Amino acid sequence: MNNHILPRVAVTGLGIITSIGESIPEFRKGLLSGKCGIGPVSLFNTSGFPATYAAQVKKAELNGIVNEREAKRMSRCDLLGLVAAGEAMTDTGLDSDKAGTRNIGVVLGGGAGGMLSWEHYRRSLWSGEIRKRPSLLLPCACCSFTDLLANRYRLTGTRTTVATACSSSATAIGVAFDLIQTGIHEMVITGGSEALSELTFAGFNALRVMDPAYCRPFDKNRKGLSLGEGAAILVLENYDRARERGATIYAEMLGYATNSDAFHMTSPDPDAMGMSRVMERALERSGVDTNEVDYINAHGTGTRSNDPLETRAIKRVFGDKQARDLAVSSTKSMVGHCLGAGGAIEATATILAICEQVVPPTLHLEEPDPECDLDYVPGRSTPRAIRIAMSNSFAFGGNNTALLFGKGGNEKPFSASFSTNKPGS
Amino acid sequence: MNEIVVTGIGIISPLGIGREAFQTNLTKGKTGIKRITSFDSTSLHSNIAGCIEDFDPRGFMSPGAYRRMGRVSSMAVAASIEALDDSRLVLDTMDRERVAVIMGTAYGSSSHVENFYLSFLENGPRGTQPFLFPDTVPNAPASHIAIFHKMTGPNTTFCQNEISAELAMLYARSILLKRLADVALVGGADELSPILFQCYDALGALNRVKIGKGQTMDPKPGRGLVLGEGACVLVLERDDFAAGRGAETYGVLKSGVVKGRITSVGHYEPEGDQMGRAMTMAMEQAGVAPDGVDEIHVSANFSGELERMECRQIEKAFGKAAMHLGVTPLKYLTGDYGGAGTLRAAAILMGFRHQLTPPTVTAAMLEGDPKHPLKWDYSTAGKSRCALMTTSTFGGGSSSFVFVNE
Repeated sequence: MNNHILPRVAVTGLGIITSIGESIPEFRKGLLSGKCGIGPVSLFNTSGFPATYAAQVKKAELNGIVNEREAKRMSRCDLLGLVAAGEAMTDTGLDSDKAGTRNIGVVLGGGAGGMLSWEHYRRSLWSGEIRKRPSLLLPCACCSFTDLLANRYRLTGTRTTVATACSSSATAIGVAFDLIQTGIHEMVITGGSEALSELTFAGFNALRVMDPAYCRPFDKNRKGLSLGEGAAILVLENYDRARERGATIYAEMLGYATNSDAFHMTSPDPDAMGMSRVMERALERSGVDTNEVDYINAHGTGTRSNDPLETRAIKRVFGDKQARDLAVSSTKSMVGHCLGAGGAIEATATILAICEQVVPPTLHLEEPDPECDLDYVPGRSTPRAIRIAMSNSFAFGGNNTALLFGKGGNEKPFSASFSTNKPGS
Repeated sequence: MNEIVVTGIGIISPLGIGREAFQTNLTKGKTGIKRITSFDSTSLHSNIAGCIEDFDPRGFMSPGAYRRMGRVSSMAVAASIEALDDSRLVLDTMDRERVAVIMGTAYGSSSHVENFYLSFLENGPRGTQPFLFPDTVPNAPASHIAIFHKMTGPNTTFCQNEISAELAMLYARSILLKRLADVALVGGADELSPILFQCYDALGALNRVKIGKGQTMDPKPGRGLVLGEGACVLVLERDDFAAGRGAETYGVLKSGVVKGRITSVGHYEPEGDQMGRAMTMAMEQAGVAPDGVDEIHVSANFSGELERMECRQIEKAFGKAAMHLGVTPLKYLTGDYGGAGTLRAAAILMGFRHQLTPPTVTAAMLEGDPKHPLKWDYSTAGKSRCALMTTSTFGGGSSSFVFVNE
């Protein structure tokens, strides 16, 4: 199955914050119970937009993780990311002192980064406010959170931010995988963070690809995506080393692929060749046969174009019969489309599905589109034997990424391994 | 083990459009830093930058192709066209899924971000300009290159301030060695937009030089950044693939290392230890001793912090005599931008081919000591066999590469 000539890669730490849960135990509970985090937005004024809903993180006290002075220099994206990172670093047993002694890499996916902070600055400039705050500009770059995380946990290895729009953090996980497979690092902190911003909200509204209510992936009456925000951090580690130190291995990362549609900046290739090929290459490079895959966490945005094309691509890769045996679900129906963090959040949902042997559902799927004729696990999560699962991310610019995860080998039920020392379980 | 060779170069730079113009102007010692004329900088503390005033995308592609591209994307696509032409790759005879596009940019199209957001501020939620939004993503240059050339292989963009293009080179090298692609177009690109310049000015990061029309400028190391813009794309291949098609090579990308260091926001690593480590590791991985290095290319950008750190680490790696060594701070001639790494690599590689090493200053001059005014050495003829290129970024990342002329 897996090519073991190169070092194997284990997932040994997880942390998350989303609209349906602000820790792994909460997220797990929300995911498996089919909680929807999409609703009105309070971060900025959305009146006048055709679509006004998004999946906003509810917790008001994000600043509790840093002191007030530090928080002033951070963006909402940084703060969301630090919540997830704190959980993942504790989970994997790395406190900041120990981390400083290690050559650990940081590879994160970036989306709009500190756009919300830049918008505050830009708006004050535009409106002619006398008192401007240049400090709002400090966390604007999309690599701001990468530097912040590396500095906070004293990590001195490779430091990289990947920006491939909606597939950024999925691609980042792939780049992190490479760093371990090639022996450059034994441990890499990866994932991504994204905060809602006026720019992305206005942009997706301008393109008329947002559902005015909540997204309905694969539904005949779907009208578009729902934006979301959040962060997910994964700790990838050399598998043998993780076993030696007795780490909990939530899953094994088997491989990944990235490619380009080379077609259009916003429209996917109408033949779905890019989507098909990226799944094929991920399977080939991981040494996985199509009949070993039981679950696909779909890109599943709920736009008119994505869902039937992704369905067609899955059927092309797996064949009609095998495709119908697969469980395919879109967790964006719960957490929204979290852009730069989407790939990492969905990878975490995929890993959770493997650990629990339960497929999370696709919400709001009431009237299936005839062109979308697979098992999308509508409405409720379903127990299922999952040996290997795939997570798809497709992005603006035609940037596609597919990740493959398998069972960890020494995994305990997810709830048992995680909830013993976690708040909110 | 395979080597990674460079077989094509394409350049849009403040020192010239196209690699020949760049090479000619670099060798003559011209500077690309000039008074900004493309936007009004009257109210700001600086009015100089490494601007590109004579770039016209019509020289490279049809209006239909560049109509929706941001400036940074059109520069990147133009550079990719020149690089491909230089490499003599015939895409029609290749499997385009085996061609990767890997780019580095600090900010992508900041002008599209600005203009789209302004359309929202001025016209409200229903008055935005939707055609501006797609190019606000930093991966737009890489995507436009892939779309323009129909390259369906791996496609990724790295954004890490001033080491963005360096990270792109490292990743491209890695996927070629893993045989995930046969060819990689790897580039760095950034644009100088009014909003970007204004933001750097507001942060007090710019070199406070204001000059009048027709005046020359003289920025001093230690007085703040001088920004620049441009795009440079390199064609990278494994040596077996390049040899199989009889390609002419510029040189070998022998090794590359990136390290991180705990750093304050907006600053460079304090002592430069990780930069020093990256230099040492890159030389070790390349099998090169310090005395085997013929050229040192530094990332000095007039900030002062970076210059001090680079001097300290060069002295550590090369000994006391290092302060008299010639080093090339290319950003002193082009200005600083996140995607500058590939342009600096191109200066090394074209020097290898033409046996003309780029102009140098002594390492001691980087520290901006008034006793050592910035004085360039243009005695550049002679064969160079090995070049070390170091880069550090504010935020705490450092990288180092070794290029070999084989």
